[in-house]
Amino acid sequence: MEKNLFNTKMGENDRWLTAHHDPLATLYTFSSCMALADLHGDGESKLIIADLGTGAYNMKLKVYRGTSLMSENTLIDLPTGVITFHMDTTEPRVPAVAVASGSYIYIYKNLRPYFKFTLPTLEVNPTEFDAWSQARDELLDVSMLYEILDSLRQEVGECGLTTRSQRFLMCPDHGSQATFLDQHKGFLLKRQTVVTCFSTMKKSHAEDDAISCLVLGTESANIFILDPEAFTILNSMSLPSVPVFLSVSGLYDVEYRIIVACRNGQIYTLKRGTKIGRPTAELTSQPVGLLRRDKSIIVATMDQNLHSFNNKGKRLWSLKLPTPVTCMETLEIRTLGLTLTALGMADHRVMIYRDKHLVDTIHTEDKISAMKFGRFGREDNTLVLVMKGGGLLVKILKRTARFEIEETQGPSQALAVKLNIPKKTKLFVDQTMRERENSVLMHRVFQHDLYRLRLNTARAYVQALETSSNPVSLSQTEPLKLSAQVLGLGPTFKLRVELQNTSSVSPSLQLAVIFHCDDRVYNVDKSYIQIPMLVPGIIHVAETLITCISELGISDTVRVFVVKGKASRPLLTAVINMPVAEVFMGS
Amino acid sequence: MNQHCHPMCMCLEGGRLGFKLVDHKDPLQVEDEQQWPRWLYGYSFTRAPGPKSKAPELQTVERRNWLIHLHYVRKEFDHCKQLIREQLEETRGMCEYANYVQGLILRQEGKIQESFELFQLCNILNPSSIENIKQMARALFLLGRHKLAVEAYLQAEDKLNKPDWELHHNLGVCYMHLKEYEDAREHLMFALEVNKHHQTFAMLARLYLLDNDIPSAINTYRAAIEYFPENGDLHTALGLLYMQTGKHQQAFEHLGTTLTFDANNTRAILAAGSMMQSHQDFDVALAKYRVAAQSIPESPPLWNNIAMCFFGKKKYVAAISCLKRANYLAPFDWKILYNLGLVHLTMQQYTSAFHFLSAAVNLRPTKGHIFMLLAIALTYLDDEENARQAYEQAISLEVRDPSVCLNYAIFLYNHDDKEGAVRMINEFEVRMVKFRQSTGADLDTEVIENGAKLASLLGVDGSAFCKKTSRTRLDAQDETAPQEKVSTTQDTLQPMGESLHHSPPPAPETPDELDPPEEATGRDTAVLVPRTHNPELHKPPTFVSEGDDSHGEHLASAHLQFQEEEPHVSNQGDAGEENSVNHKQNSDESFE
Repeated sequence: MEKNLFNTKMGENDRWLTAHHDPLATLYTFSSCMALADLHGDGESKLIIADLGTGAYNMKLKVYRGTSLMSENTLIDLPTGVITFHMDTTEPRVPAVAVASGSYIYIYKNLRPYFKFTLPTLEVNPTEFDAWSQARDELLDVSMLYEILDSLRQEVGECGLTTRSQRFLMCPDHGSQATFLDQHKGFLLKRQTVVTCFSTMKKSHAEDDAISCLVLGTESANIFILDPEAFTILNSMSLPSVPVFLSVSGLYDVEYRIIVACRNGQIYTLKRGTKIGRPTAELTSQPVGLLRRDKSIIVATMDQNLHSFNNKGKRLWSLKLPTPVTCMETLEIRTLGLTLTALGMADHRVMIYRDKHLVDTIHTEDKISAMKFGRFGREDNTLVLVMKGGGLLVKILKRTARFEIEETQGPSQALAVKLNIPKKTKLFVDQTMRERENSVLMHRVFQHDLYRLRLNTARAYVQALETSSNPVSLSQTEPLKLSAQVLGLGPTFKLRVELQNTSSVSPSLQLAVIFHCDDRVYNVDKSYIQIPMLVPGIIHVAETLITCISELGISDTVRVFVVKGKASRPLLTAVINMPVAEVFMGS
Repeated sequence: MNQHCHPMCMCLEGGRLGFKLVDHKDPLQVEDEQQWPRWLYGYSFTRAPGPKSKAPELQTVERRNWLIHLHYVRKEFDHCKQLIREQLEETRGMCEYANYVQGLILRQEGKIQESFELFQLCNILNPSSIENIKQMARALFLLGRHKLAVEAYLQAEDKLNKPDWELHHNLGVCYMHLKEYEDAREHLMFALEVNKHHQTFAMLARLYLLDNDIPSAINTYRAAIEYFPENGDLHTALGLLYMQTGKHQQAFEHLGTTLTFDANNTRAILAAGSMMQSHQDFDVALAKYRVAAQSIPESPPLWNNIAMCFFGKKKYVAAISCLKRANYLAPFDWKILYNLGLVHLTMQQYTSAFHFLSAAVNLRPTKGHIFMLLAIALTYLDDEENARQAYEQAISLEVRDPSVCLNYAIFLYNHDDKEGAVRMINEFEVRMVKFRQSTGADLDTEVIENGAKLASLLGVDGSAFCKKTSRTRLDAQDETAPQEKVSTTQDTLQPMGESLHHSPPPAPETPDELDPPEEATGRDTAVLVPRTHNPELHKPPTFVSEGDDSHGEHLASAHLQFQEEEPHVSNQGDAGEENSVNHKQNSDESFE
């Protein structure tokens, strides 16, 4: 039922079948936190999702079997990535699940906690180490420790310190610092880092179920390769920046290549035997995803571009995308011998590219947050989509689906569209004919009227100037600006008059505001308001209440005059059209 | 459990691989060993107060950096800001990366000053990071404080141990804004040495253009295309530069390349379309514009060009419709107004033509051609004196185009000023010779024929007008067929019509790089060869020509004084036979 509803709403894509759609799955995850694997050796592939919960708590490791949730394990910290891998040669060949989270990697076997690996600690700054050990031995008091650590931070930066020092420096007052010191000083000082990305690499054989090593990228800008059996560090390499995306190929014991996209917008390559990442390509924007094809790297960037580089970093092609990308996934369709690139776009669709040609688009109801392609259940080509709003959508590729590169249809499509030219009526043609016949007369009449209009305007202007009935004073001696506002619904209104001296230096003195209206219609509370000296630039506000006393439900105008001293002519005049008082409209 | 002892032993071995296993070996792992059963039964040990020997767990400050970064690159800024807020609350504002990303987001939201303050904070938290200084410099640059930005970049450069493309590129841009072109070029060149990015190439080319060094700019673009053969913008820019330098063949090639890779590149479409228009390929040009109209339906130059295509195809109503739309979209574009005037003149709507032309002249009082069209309109509106004034103005402003002189000469001849007409026809001859010498091309045949006819009427030696007719350009010959057709229809429509001619002005104004097609449209120039009936008007209204903004107005108001005057038709017969009416021919020429 639900499926039908969805199909009718979205329209079924001719290449994909919707196998499952649960808009209320409430998943918060990323492509790196999803995996597909046959966890029980029963030939049925399960979907493993590390759910970030609310982002602060309720983190879970969820396993879906078919369309139902099979198991849930609580996670204690935000998961960074999930991977399934074979860590030993025991039979039956079931893979273990590794969840990277914070500074740890949790290994699950048969969905039971099996082992926890802690990232190696980093070297502690000697000054810091001495400071803490002296504090432990009570050679340093709290404020001295604070000073030492604070000056050390100036020197090496926030990230060069241990968590303990960072937290200590965060303590706002002396008391909390002392408590903190007492609580922690007895323990060993260590500096830990965090996993940022996570992948696997086959150790010595390339078979699907061969033993794999774990490859970790850390916040300390290192790449570690872990031995799967002993959980020791086989190799550690360093990068100039924090790794964000990893792509691994090859065998650890033979030859391998790790391509890393870093936070500084560069792509580095690490090979067997290297200790430091070699810069491969420089991007002009942050990478959003990194995929690897046989001999090329495909990167989507934040500035809505899709780039392809070869392994040496030479740009092969670039493509401008219509909207921002949220995630990327490789679609390896073995039956067709094709490797496609799927891009989750911000405008609710998945675009599938074959090299740089768009071959398919899947429209969805929500923004795609994560994608995984692979064998799910017993179906080989399944695309699992997780939406931003938490929905889970499983699409199966039809066996008949082909991804041929179509001829670019852009221009031909546009050709079919007619130009939207405004139509002209017969009247237009008639007018044209009339103008042709009478052009001279029309011209003269027009010019005559135009002249009249100008004359009238000029007269009205002069008259306005003569009677000072303008809201902006043009006289050199008293440059003033007046604006008025009527507040309220009636019958009592508040009239707000703002006066501003627009001159640069000279203040205005002896000013007053007078309100004038028909006393049969309105009653003015203060009809004369003395204005204090007006300093240039400052807006002075004069307010009065005006009550509508007429019972006829009419409105009238109120005139506001600004006068100076005993002069008989006002400096400024404003005519305010009063609104109809509300009370009459009701009754 | 047995399996567990195993990793411990291996840990020691790990040390051999060069990794520093300071306190990794025993305390931690042993702890784990102790905790194992707890962890197995629900991992409560991290939260629960563990055994006394266990240190209180401290959450690493950087633990959520990866999540912040991931949301940032996915442009999920709302979510990202929420995370950052939580992170900063938890760490009392001390998390460097959270502040950094907050700064980046604020920049994207246009709050540059606030983002600058955040990068400053990051710099305080981690003074050793070059990235923070670079971002501060970037913020200063965006705030327009280029000098400070340069200082910040130089400071970053000092700290840097290896060359950085981004830094030098931005330094170059800053210097460019400071008008220190030498330094700018140096840094941009250096940036290119470090890494080839198309932005740097484009910036360097722009720098050369600021120096008016077009050949260097062209070379820069050519070098850029070597590296980015599929970049449409680079090809378009190069094509436009070629167009500007008159190398139309190359220009067309590059614009064509752009369109192969990016069929929807509107800049290239407009530029290529205007070139097609100039070769009278109106249908092809229209097909291109149709593509562009999908993506930029509100572009005034596009509608202007579409209109002039219709004009070329003699669909005047459609042309007026499109021009009016263009005018609605850009009311202050004098080129559109000029074209509107031109089309209305063709339609014999002289009153409307006068309107648009006077509006155009108000916006661009230095363009001789507008005055010429205005003069033609005024001639038809029986305003001889103003027409004469407008012609005088046109001739003084437009010193090269021969057609202005010819129109004036015919006007004077029709108004019985033989002397003036002779003077003008001589001036026409001088200008024509100069034109031939400077461009190597010849004037339009119609113009020359009309010149020759007038010369013979005036008794001036008109041989100069004929000697090169054999060498007229190819496209001019192409025009002859439609011209004749037109002239017949024109005759029936308007027995007293004057003929408008267009000839290419010898020097088109420098094209605006951003709006190439406008340039193309701006070149329409009308040459009017008045033929018959010229009303004589007696009241000479004042025509003030010195005021910059007042031409149109004065012209307009001037007419009030003599509206009762009866137009006086004269000498309809004699001149009528000689000058064939070619009213609509201007359309063919409008894009030359």
